[in-house]
Amino acid sequence: MATTAPDISTVQESPGEQSAPAKREFPGALVVVEGIDGSGKSTQLYLLKRWLEIGGYRIHFTEWNSSPLVKSATRRGKQRRLLTPTTFSLLHAADFADRCERQILPLLHGGYLVLADRYVYTAFARDAARGCSPHWLRNLYSFAPVPDITFYFRAPLDVAVSRITAGRPKLKYYEAGMDLGLSLDRAESFRIFQDRILNNYDQMIETDKFVLMDGTMRVNRLQKVMRALLAERVELNRFAPTKKK
Amino acid sequence: MTAATNSSELKATGSSGVRRKKRSPKPEKGGANSGVTRFYGTPLPGVNPAELSGNLIVVEGTDGSGRSTQISLLTEWLESEGFAVETMGLRRSFLVGEDIDALLAENAVTPMTLALMYSTDFFDQLERRILPALRSGLIVLADRYIFTLIARAAVRGIGRDYLHGIYEMALRPDLTFWLDVQPEVAFDREFKKSQTISYWESGRDMSLSNDLFQSFIRYQSMIKREFEYLAKRHSFLEVDGEASVSEVNRQLRKRIASHLGIRNTHYRPSHALAHLWR
Repeated sequence: MATTAPDISTVQESPGEQSAPAKREFPGALVVVEGIDGSGKSTQLYLLKRWLEIGGYRIHFTEWNSSPLVKSATRRGKQRRLLTPTTFSLLHAADFADRCERQILPLLHGGYLVLADRYVYTAFARDAARGCSPHWLRNLYSFAPVPDITFYFRAPLDVAVSRITAGRPKLKYYEAGMDLGLSLDRAESFRIFQDRILNNYDQMIETDKFVLMDGTMRVNRLQKVMRALLAERVELNRFAPTKKK
Repeated sequence: MTAATNSSELKATGSSGVRRKKRSPKPEKGGANSGVTRFYGTPLPGVNPAELSGNLIVVEGTDGSGRSTQISLLTEWLESEGFAVETMGLRRSFLVGEDIDALLAENAVTPMTLALMYSTDFFDQLERRILPALRSGLIVLADRYIFTLIARAAVRGIGRDYLHGIYEMALRPDLTFWLDVQPEVAFDREFKKSQTISYWESGRDMSLSNDLFQSFIRYQSMIKREFEYLAKRHSFLEVDGEASVSEVNRQLRKRIASHLGIRNTHYRPSHALAHLWR
């Protein structure tokens, strides 16, 4: 961005407000899992959720792409293949904003342990793989609260891809990154796309303080590690059922 | 920045009413524009700015400022001069235009979500209709642009720099006209049009007042203040929107004609549009 004009791209006076992502202190806590498809993150978060649920903790589970408000638009865009990298990204950001403003933030203020299957890092990794500017994406999601802990599940590309292609009859158009014209073969396109996403995730390990999880470990052993790490990082007593005295 | 920076001096009236406040040197002729300056920041992915030979002309202003009337008249004038015209506006995208209508009807949407749905609507139109039109050398008339979207979100507490960041991939207009009217005048016009004032144009989601008139005036005044800030930042060409339709149109034509190199600025609306000519 060498020759940008000053009127939009430069940060200017902005009286009486802020848009920078500040680490906010909430009574609640935010736990995030990230990783490419087939890395095992959803299974592990499910088991973590079950553990906390059974223990009676105050938790709420939320996933990427689940807001009813923008669902019809997302579906229409995907079915008719209308989405460009930019509108794909913005529509998902709108969806996330809806969940953030109506669920995540109120729950964090209200003292819940919020478990998120995918978070803004999914957008950073995936939308950048589609060609969106990383800088633009960071700004777009700057309203999102910073997680207390982000588990990054990492599995080798071959392992992750075979887990997905084995269980699913057909990859969807956008899921496979077909809009990028990487390959006419869906499976091959998916592989190249996932590889790009994986590289983008890897670059965030340090900058975003990811906790690296080995997605090739046995499920129950990995879950044990995850529970221990969570207890270390987040004071779980805050969310424990209140004992009557 | 050489020109006046306070809002009362920006007010333009009379025949020399349209003034351009230059901030930085910028090529004036549409087709000759080069490279990155056609965008505010990083261009949209996959767009080559050098291909965009058309012109983007924006008409901004609050509800009741007369924008749509002027766009209709300008379209006819430009077509009669042999220019092909494409238009854009809010909620006109195929992708999410109707979804936003539905969100607005429910009144359940939160400010950030609405702001991002509007930006989706904007970029869908830009990428799928406007950029192709500009590649083909058309004149694009925009009935509102990123400035309305920034102003509306900003008065609802979303950071201005955040909003400018989202729209840095937008195309910089060749000309941006601001039809400025006092909120009281806007109220009269809007009320006359539909015999009431709508939920959103009176900003009722912001709980400013239970009285519709008060709510409208306060909300539109807040929007107007945002426009005053944007006018300086983006070199708006300010036009007195309270002047007659024909006078406002004359001023717009004069400035557009000089930009496009049209010699004949004379125009009378056809029979079909004569009712607008007051």
